[in-house]
Amino acid sequence: MKTTSVLIALGSLAHAITAQEIPKAAPPITKDTSHLPQVVLVSMGGTIASRAADRMNITNYGGKNTPRVDPQDWLHDLPELANLARITLEDFRPDVDRKERETFEDMRTVAKRLNELASDPAVDGVVVTHGTNTMAEVAFYVNLTVKTDKPIVFVGSQRPWTGISGDGPINLFDAVRVAASPLSRGKGVLHCMNYNINTARDVTKTSAYRIQTFKGVDVGVIGFADPDKVVYYREPTRKHTLTSEFAGMDFESLPPVEIFYSYTEAPGYVIDAAVEHGAKGIVVDGIGAGAATNSETEAIKRAQAKGVVVVMTARVHGGRVQETVNRTAANLVNGDNLPPEKARILLQLALTKTSDWRAVKKYFDEY
Amino acid sequence: MKLNVFRISLPVVVLCCLVTVIPAADLPNKPLPKLKLFSTGGTIQGSGPRRDEVANYKPARFTPKQLLDDLPEANKVADITCEEIAATGSGGIDTKIQLKLAKQINAWLAQPDSAGAVVTHGTATLEETAYFLNLVVRSDKPVLVVGAMRPHSAISRDGPLNLYNAFRTAVAPEARDKGVMVLLNDEINAARDVTKTNTERPNTFESRDLGPIGFADSDRIVFYRRLLYRHTHKSEFDVSQLNELPKVDIVYGYQEGGRAAVDALITAGAKGIVLDDSSPGFAAAVKDGRAKGIVFVQSDRKGSGRVLEKETSLERCIITADNLNAQKARQLLRMALTKTTDLKEIQRMFNEY
Repeated sequence: MKTTSVLIALGSLAHAITAQEIPKAAPPITKDTSHLPQVVLVSMGGTIASRAADRMNITNYGGKNTPRVDPQDWLHDLPELANLARITLEDFRPDVDRKERETFEDMRTVAKRLNELASDPAVDGVVVTHGTNTMAEVAFYVNLTVKTDKPIVFVGSQRPWTGISGDGPINLFDAVRVAASPLSRGKGVLHCMNYNINTARDVTKTSAYRIQTFKGVDVGVIGFADPDKVVYYREPTRKHTLTSEFAGMDFESLPPVEIFYSYTEAPGYVIDAAVEHGAKGIVVDGIGAGAATNSETEAIKRAQAKGVVVVMTARVHGGRVQETVNRTAANLVNGDNLPPEKARILLQLALTKTSDWRAVKKYFDEY
Repeated sequence: MKLNVFRISLPVVVLCCLVTVIPAADLPNKPLPKLKLFSTGGTIQGSGPRRDEVANYKPARFTPKQLLDDLPEANKVADITCEEIAATGSGGIDTKIQLKLAKQINAWLAQPDSAGAVVTHGTATLEETAYFLNLVVRSDKPVLVVGAMRPHSAISRDGPLNLYNAFRTAVAPEARDKGVMVLLNDEINAARDVTKTNTERPNTFESRDLGPIGFADSDRIVFYRRLLYRHTHKSEFDVSQLNELPKVDIVYGYQEGGRAAVDALITAGAKGIVLDDSSPGFAAAVKDGRAKGIVFVQSDRKGSGRVLEKETSLERCIITADNLNAQKARQLLRMALTKTTDLKEIQRMFNEY
């Protein structure tokens, strides 16, 4: 009886499985690369440039005692990239020993270099790696300050380069494909992870560890880096890159702008403190549709009396903060559907042009 | 001929000058943009026995005129007339109604003084008609398809606001060249990408892969996306001479699924079949179907993501549906078959629309 059922089970298999080996070598690498686009791979570091001591470690990686992934290591580990583009490397990783992290200077330096690369006729596209925590706002800054219609694609990974089932290699491979594609031109700064192509304006990190963390919360992706092809369905209508008023500009520093998160009983005195410290703009990540507490509202009035511009965003992180009669009467800029960290960057840039809240509001309506 | 053109264009030029010179606020009797409401029925025109009854009701009981009478605010947005195309629920919508709807919308939008069109429709197949219109409307003027999840007789009915927002969107200059749009729950979705995702919630319509293209918010109509695939005035399809469409059906794939359904549909006259995912019986059915000239399209029942183009796809005589769901792939295949039965050419259409 037993024998019979085993035989039936075997018979129902379409074919017997033979032992396979995992392919270790890269596919044949093309010899003649003259027809391939030139893509510059700029490393700003991040998890994608991190190692851990063993491959099962996907959370406690990096640190001073673990060597980082040098940009040339990516080319060594992924020789397939040579079939996609002629790749040159640039290293903009912040110094590991430095105390300050996520500084404006890092963002400024790379934006300046991206403007140079963009104006180099030999360059067809750029890939920028970055840590995932702040890459969306850095990409947004680049989206507003780099003057080009060439693809600039931000990429990162949720697991270190050395981690088991690491998402870094395929994300990097896809980002290079996107940067090398002529279809990617003129769409503003892009973000590519997990096959999804998002816009710098709309993409945001939504999960601490999952690989599908990056989403356009309100308006979704504009295309895919699918295995068969890079495909686009949409392009952004808001101003960016070539149409941005800040395109090609280099700022030594930006006016200080701080963010305040709202909640029941959120106090206004922290806003007062920021203004005393010299803040020129305030972003209040308001409750619900973008509202502040009474205490915050009083502090906002005091701040506005000193010329500070105040933008309202919504901590619900979905949907726009709208222009309303009350908000207009209170001289508050409605932050549209930008998250507070991106509203901060737009406000900083707007404040280099004007300190009139109505003029600032126009930037929030258009960018 | 030349004289005629001149006679028409001179007043138009004068009018244009007037409009540009005089600010809108100074024109007390500035004519409102003209919209037409094309009604087909659905829950948005539905009526139940009591106002707390949101499940057991009859669709298409309120006339379009009644919907407008209950929404006098819309008269400040546009000069709205109505035209009844049908009075049925989603399940009653057929090719005949769809063709009539498309032709009437085209006739209306061809009038120089029309601003846009709004269509009422049952929600269950709303996305199919919307995508069909997206392929065959020959204008870049806004076309909005609206529905409701609660009947017009019920408390918290969502229809009036959906309708009001559709009128606002239809007169918004930014709404031009956005193809046919579906508007429920403040969200403006593209007809190609939107699908019904929930049986009863008012937020049922979503574009799973790509999200909405804009919002009908209280302060303004706002768009974030331009569409890159072909639609409406950029479409190659033309229904003006058509009174019927090729028969195309859908077969759902599942474990142990056989070929019987495919064979039966071909016997019944199907010219094209959309295979939604795969069944073990499909391969043999496709082989025999191809011998009879039947065209097969592969979609995917998961509801998100593209069917990838593989080297073997066309070798197996199967067209890939990109990220269209089965019911939309059916709409496109019907239109494709009005033009050609060449597989490469149809695959091109699936890559472009």
